[in-house]
Amino acid sequence: MKCPRCDGNKIEVIATSPVGNVWEVYECMDCFYSWRSTETPHIHDKFKLKKEQIDTLQVIPPIPPLDK
Amino acid sequence: MAKVYQDLRSFLSTLEENGQLVRIKEEVNPEPDIAAAGRAAANIESGPAVLFEKVKGYPYSVVTNVHGSWANHALMLGMDKTATTKEQFHEINRRWDRFPVKPEILKREEAPCKENTIDKAEDINLFELLPLYRINDQDGGFFLSKASIITADPNEPDNFDKLNVGTYRIQVKGKNRVGIQALAFHDIAIQLEAAERKNEKVPICITVGNSPLVTYMASTPVMYTQNEYEFVGALQDGVPTQIVQSDLYKNLYVPAGSEVVLEGYIEPRVREVEGPFGEFPGSYSGSRRQCVITITHVTHRTNPIFENLYLGIPWTEIDYLMALNTSVPLYQQIKRDFPEVQAVNAMYTHGIGCIISTKVRFGGFGKEVAFRLLSTPHGGSYSKIIIIVDEFVDPFNLPQVMWALTTRVRPDKDVVVIPNCPGMPLDPSSYPAGMHSKLIIDATTPKDPEPNPREVELLEPPAGYEKYEALIRKLMSEM
Ligand SMILES: Cc1cc2nc3c(=O)[nH]c(=O)nc-3n(C[C@H](O)[C@H](O)[C@H](O)COP(=O)(O)O)c2cc1C
Ligand SMILES: [Zn+2]
Repeated sequence: MKCPRCDGNKIEVIATSPVGNVWEVYECMDCFYSWRSTETPHIHDKFKLKKEQIDTLQVIPPIPPLDK
Repeated sequence: MAKVYQDLRSFLSTLEENGQLVRIKEEVNPEPDIAAAGRAAANIESGPAVLFEKVKGYPYSVVTNVHGSWANHALMLGMDKTATTKEQFHEINRRWDRFPVKPEILKREEAPCKENTIDKAEDINLFELLPLYRINDQDGGFFLSKASIITADPNEPDNFDKLNVGTYRIQVKGKNRVGIQALAFHDIAIQLEAAERKNEKVPICITVGNSPLVTYMASTPVMYTQNEYEFVGALQDGVPTQIVQSDLYKNLYVPAGSEVVLEGYIEPRVREVEGPFGEFPGSYSGSRRQCVITITHVTHRTNPIFENLYLGIPWTEIDYLMALNTSVPLYQQIKRDFPEVQAVNAMYTHGIGCIISTKVRFGGFGKEVAFRLLSTPHGGSYSKIIIIVDEFVDPFNLPQVMWALTTRVRPDKDVVVIPNCPGMPLDPSSYPAGMHSKLIIDATTPKDPEPNPREVELLEPPAGYEKYEALIRKLMSEM
């Protein structure tokens, strides 16, 4: 299985339905996109992520320097 | 004495008694049904809260649109559900002056939120506790959009005044891992920075499903040293709100009636991809690297109710939630220096648009009042379109505001743009994000020494019109 957002292949099952066996929830361990097996994600181009982009995303809030 | 709620459940009962809550009893799909109902309820005049009793694959129920109409908002305040927006504004202001009202601290065994405990991190599974779902199609995952989050100041952990209760979006990233959006200008970011400088974890409690005024105050911009629980007591007209000590952290207190309390810590100096998420300006905020929380302890009520909020193109629930809770603090802050100010309507997109009515003391006074708005902590970055009207114009009555604009404004002198000011980064027209220009429209009547060469006399209503208003209403109701 591939991540619909970043094409990464480190996908984990983070949940199975607590009642019945009706869905699972998957998550990409590279970009943390998650989706339910009953959904068909179609990520708009604007929101697709490449591995290189992940490291350059804005950091909120900024990480302060360590106190000496 | 106004009706007071110590938990979500008692408020839901009141909503139901007043025809402001509907139940969907049939099983629904998590996507897209729950969000679709949130949009639908917002489209309906005096929209109700919508409670889904059964969600496919989940054991518990979910409720949305709890704050999503003026009727629900009035009931939250214990007012009649027909109270107008302006009446609610003045009532909140009256109660605001009762701050601080110390909360009542319950014993653990008295607090409903402690009915069930999960004390091993490996036993925690958010999907078993909450019917999680995607709110908007391009959201990066499932979000808690309405939780009240409690943190303390790491440098003064026992200072109750600095205990913070705030609303920050939470993205579920695993059975006991979530992301949080702590924007730099909010209180939680001050506490986070202090801890990260020392590379210390930030103890945190995420509470889901609260009494309506707890949620309300959590998203109200008050001063850093003002405790939100003490404001809840004020807005309950002097009745203290009930809180209880967190299980893990003796200096953190959570609402005693919460449906679910997640306790854990923010990992210091860690940022991970979070978002996108459909945000209050009616568009998505993209992916950013944001903080991560590990949850290690949970308490919850039996059969917890998941309260969550839909956001779409305004107006939706979030616009009701943050309409007067933005207007009132701005009014309070401005009138301290300018008692001439009558009312502040900052209901448009969290105060990005703002209308102020004021008496005019001297020429140029309208602009001076606008500058004061732009020097408040919230107005400084958020407010962008500022309209100042005379004291006889009701800023909550948009046709009246349009009347003032069309008959009072001379664009060549009354409209000014101030470039290169702070802006609200989630406003998509702010560029670079966080910078903006400000528009001030002074629609007040010129006052000496500003010349007013065509002074007018306002029309007065004919004598006895009130009598006729009552009579016509009566005749209509009998038709
Ligand atoms: C539904 C809702 C969601 C919000 N989400 C966030 C958020 O993700 N991050 C944030 O910094 N502020 C968010 N806010 C705004 C803050 O809750 C609000 O400005 C509050 O006054 C902040 O309080 P503080 O200054 O005590 O931190 C949200 C408000 C509402 C009503
Ligand atoms: Zn991915």
